[in-house]
Amino acid sequence: MSSVDLVPVLLIATPILAATLPIALGLRFDRVGWSIAALTTTGLFAATAFLATVVYGDGATVTHALGDFPQEYGIELVADELSTLIALLVTGVAAGVLAYTRTGGPRGNTFYTGYLLLTGGLLGLTMTGDVFNLFVFLEITGLGTYAMISSGDGPESAVAALKYLILGTVGASMYLLGVGFLFMATGTLNMAELATALPDVEGQGETLVRVAFAFVFVGFSIKVAQWPLHTWQPDAYQHAPDGVTPLIAALVSTVSAYAFGRVAFTVFGADFLATTPYASEVVVTVGSISVLAGSTLAVIQRKVKRMLAYSSVSQFGLIVAAYGLVTETGLVGAVVHLVGHGLTKAGLFAAVAVVSVSTGARTVDEYAGLAKRRPVAAMAMTVLLVSLVGIPPSVGFVGKWYIALGAVEAELWPVAAVIFLSTMLTLAYAARLLEKMYFTPAAPTERPVPPGAAATDGGSPVETDDPDRVTVGMIGLVVAAAVLVVALGFAGGTFYDLLEPFVEEVFN
Amino acid sequence: MALEALTMVYPPLVVFAAALLVLVLPRIAGFAVGSASLLAVIALAWLTPEGAHLTGSFLGFEATLFLVDDFTRMLGIVMGFLGAFAVVYAYSSEATRRMTAFALAYVASAVGAAFAGDWLVLVFMAEIMAMTSTLLVWDYGGDAVRAGFRYAIAHGIGGSLLLFAVVAHYAEVGSFAYTADGITTGLPLLLAVLGLGINCAFIGLHTWLPDTYPKPHFAASVFLGVYTTKTSAYILYRALPDDGNLYVAYMGGLMAIYGATFALLQHDMRALLSYHIQAQLGYMVAGVGIGSTLAVAGAMGHLFNNVLFKSLLFMAVGVIIYRTGENDLYELGGLWREMPLTAVGFGLGAFSITAIPGFNGYVSKGMVLDAADPHYYGAPEYEVLYWLLMIGAVGTLLSFIKLGYYAFFHGESDLEVADARPGQTVAMLAVGGACLALGLWWQGFVDLLPGIEGQAFQYTGGEGHLHPYSPGHLRDSVVLATVAAVAFALVRKPLSKLGHVPDVEVIVNPAMYHLGRGSMRAITETFAAVDAVAVGFVRRCYWIGNNPTVAVDRVARKVPDRLVDTRDRRVANGGRPSRLFLRAGIGTTVLFVTVALTIVLWLLV
Repeated sequence: MSSVDLVPVLLIATPILAATLPIALGLRFDRVGWSIAALTTTGLFAATAFLATVVYGDGATVTHALGDFPQEYGIELVADELSTLIALLVTGVAAGVLAYTRTGGPRGNTFYTGYLLLTGGLLGLTMTGDVFNLFVFLEITGLGTYAMISSGDGPESAVAALKYLILGTVGASMYLLGVGFLFMATGTLNMAELATALPDVEGQGETLVRVAFAFVFVGFSIKVAQWPLHTWQPDAYQHAPDGVTPLIAALVSTVSAYAFGRVAFTVFGADFLATTPYASEVVVTVGSISVLAGSTLAVIQRKVKRMLAYSSVSQFGLIVAAYGLVTETGLVGAVVHLVGHGLTKAGLFAAVAVVSVSTGARTVDEYAGLAKRRPVAAMAMTVLLVSLVGIPPSVGFVGKWYIALGAVEAELWPVAAVIFLSTMLTLAYAARLLEKMYFTPAAPTERPVPPGAAATDGGSPVETDDPDRVTVGMIGLVVAAAVLVVALGFAGGTFYDLLEPFVEEVFN
Repeated sequence: MALEALTMVYPPLVVFAAALLVLVLPRIAGFAVGSASLLAVIALAWLTPEGAHLTGSFLGFEATLFLVDDFTRMLGIVMGFLGAFAVVYAYSSEATRRMTAFALAYVASAVGAAFAGDWLVLVFMAEIMAMTSTLLVWDYGGDAVRAGFRYAIAHGIGGSLLLFAVVAHYAEVGSFAYTADGITTGLPLLLAVLGLGINCAFIGLHTWLPDTYPKPHFAASVFLGVYTTKTSAYILYRALPDDGNLYVAYMGGLMAIYGATFALLQHDMRALLSYHIQAQLGYMVAGVGIGSTLAVAGAMGHLFNNVLFKSLLFMAVGVIIYRTGENDLYELGGLWREMPLTAVGFGLGAFSITAIPGFNGYVSKGMVLDAADPHYYGAPEYEVLYWLLMIGAVGTLLSFIKLGYYAFFHGESDLEVADARPGQTVAMLAVGGACLALGLWWQGFVDLLPGIEGQAFQYTGGEGHLHPYSPGHLRDSVVLATVAAVAFALVRKPLSKLGHVPDVEVIVNPAMYHLGRGSMRAITETFAAVDAVAVGFVRRCYWIGNNPTVAVDRVARKVPDRLVDTRDRRVANGGRPSRLFLRAGIGTTVLFVTVALTIVLWLLV
């Protein structure tokens, strides 16, 4: 076993173990949480980058079997072209968002424990090669997310966290039920084993497999926030502390959507989706409806965070619909959009946080004249919104382009029409914000809620409305996201090349 | 070697760099750089050898960024020429640096679209052009913002339709390259023509045009009036290069009449000119639709000329607005004494657009008419089209006699205003001079047009030669002018009453207004209605989901008033009163989950 094989284990074990440190050391030192989190996530990013050089450079899939059990019973961690890309996103964003939380809060050692736990859970979700383990990491991720959301001040955070707790658990349980059915049908939980066993299942077993798919799909629809099962998500995004929203919005649903793609294509396989009556149709329909409903709801929102949250519903709808196309281009488009949307939303929510910290503006109307007051943040936000709409050159365009191409290849014209409509609707809410920022003069805004309410978890409350509280790190994070989004817009071909081995394997 | 190096310079980038420089340099230096960058575009278009191209990889596809052939060279030259003087004009017209930067970015994208070597790059540039032109409109603020929104939506739809057409074309053909067959017939072509129809202001799809162009700064109108629509006419040719299309040709004929008629009824000077954009586009669309060598050359020639004289007219009218602060034609009069230079500029533009012999419009419009006229080179099925285009020409003459008459003659000016500023004068006279020069030295002009060698061209009956100043053509022209003069004498009374008698105005103007804007209303209102229905539907669904008991109760009692006092409702789970009545509680969501699972299971198992 070479040293590379250990990297996937370290990626998961390190953050979870490091999560205990802020609490333990917090007994002696006051503000040790951020440093530990920063060290850990930077290290994780470096390790993932190293892993990426091996996976993409040598074209080798790195597999680690925990405890050296045989594949049928043991737990596997797999870093292939797909999971490495997502792991890069996870570690990169997790390290980047810390640039905001250092002074933007939330503070407190317990917060960073949750932060690291969440990161560990997400990496586990990304790397695992075992469907039951996937459930475990889904729960770890969930726990981390509940803790993150409830660390906001005000009772709404607690309510939002509770809502996500209940609905998220329902979703994960449904997934677990689906896994149970799979186990009944095949007797194994390993993804690779399942993939070889499933096509041979016949008769009664076939029904079991279909039921399993139904449960898995509905379970993930909750986690990925597909309309009308999305109801936890806008509350969660809106009421989570400003520093947390970028992390959650960029990663939690993204990795769940990745996990669904992984289960759908690696475990069930493209053939299953294509041949089972109604399977791909159901996926495409749910995705398309989410696209339309999500963007329509986004257009009518007044609060910027909530608007962006509904926009996520619609963008994930696009990804789910792309899965349902069952074409190579569509799958590449889904993955590219997954990464691109994650980066874009991280940047957007960080920009929203910067704006609300420095000016107190939270509704679309309050953004009037922002370009004059906060030119850098407004410019970065513009770039990110442009990417969200899918105007080239931006990573948002690359993703949508591949998805649209996939829809045309599959000759699913309604989906092509939905993509067209979604661009229009995205343009509608993005333009609303842009017009306010650049072309409406600022009106004196009233302070929304007076700051100073106690945080539910006992951490120190965050006070707002002080331009000096915007640090270079915060602005840097936003600008870096904007630059990356544009830079990746030129990397459409590279994405395709990187993902090609995986996609070819799935479709052959 | 030097010429080879030229192909490595990508003209749009030069202009775009100038757009950025305008923002940072001192005003005069910045504008000079902007103007120089556009002159550089002319040089590049002129000197780069034909067939040169610049390829690259775009989204994993081979893409031709930059291609020089007869068409792109001609477009590049005229876009550069006009742009250079429009920047000079903007400098004199107190345009802000930000506005000029937007304008140059817009020109850069239009130049990019003109030089694009395949469909992929073309669509990309057209999208950027839609975006930059919207910014240019928005920059003025006020009324322009809302108009800009409608403009953006129209062009967003047009651009997306074109994008889908190109994708569908690619799915059929497997290549993005321009071909002699254009876009694949069937769905792709239909989508492309619809999308371009919005940008080319087909009747019914044109409403954004007179809505948007009168709204922004008058120097911005000079840019706007030229690039988007002309580029779209050129793209329309790329989509339909071969045999043309009868329906498209007749659409062009109808546009010529429709545009001229509504132009005649306008008060706002820039609205009048905007409707004329549609009318003149009619000739280009008709030429592309006819599709013969002469027709296409005529369409492209008219495109070339139209860029010049239409912007010249916008410049002259811009000077009037700048000096008098007045947009309404009926508030003006007798201005030729006050601003003779502007009157000369306007005259040059008006003579060109109305196809008076000696001016460039006469040559190119004549080519389109000859291509349609069965007595010259047209096919019999274009007989009607020819007459439509002739009537359009009369309408154009009429409305420009009206514009000139009411602005510059008609009584004494009660305003004492200065003439155009030096920069404005230079721009107007340079562009106007070009109009006159191309009309007189027509041999050189037609040689530049694609498909024409010297003055000869091929048609189904053999080789034809151009004779714009033949006795027959001149006679036609005299007849046209006479008809228009007589008609103006006849309608002048009613027209002037239209302007001066208030009670008639009260009845007639709203009627014309509703007639003219009818189609626009139909489209925008339909869109608004669909929007309202969709939003209302979603709201209602959510409301019902949130208040199932109340909903059932209301339905049972058949209370007609909907959505009452939902805003006062408190969220049941203990939060503060919520303004957003859309939230679904945990219980409702679990119900949704159950329903969804049931449906999926029912479908799959």
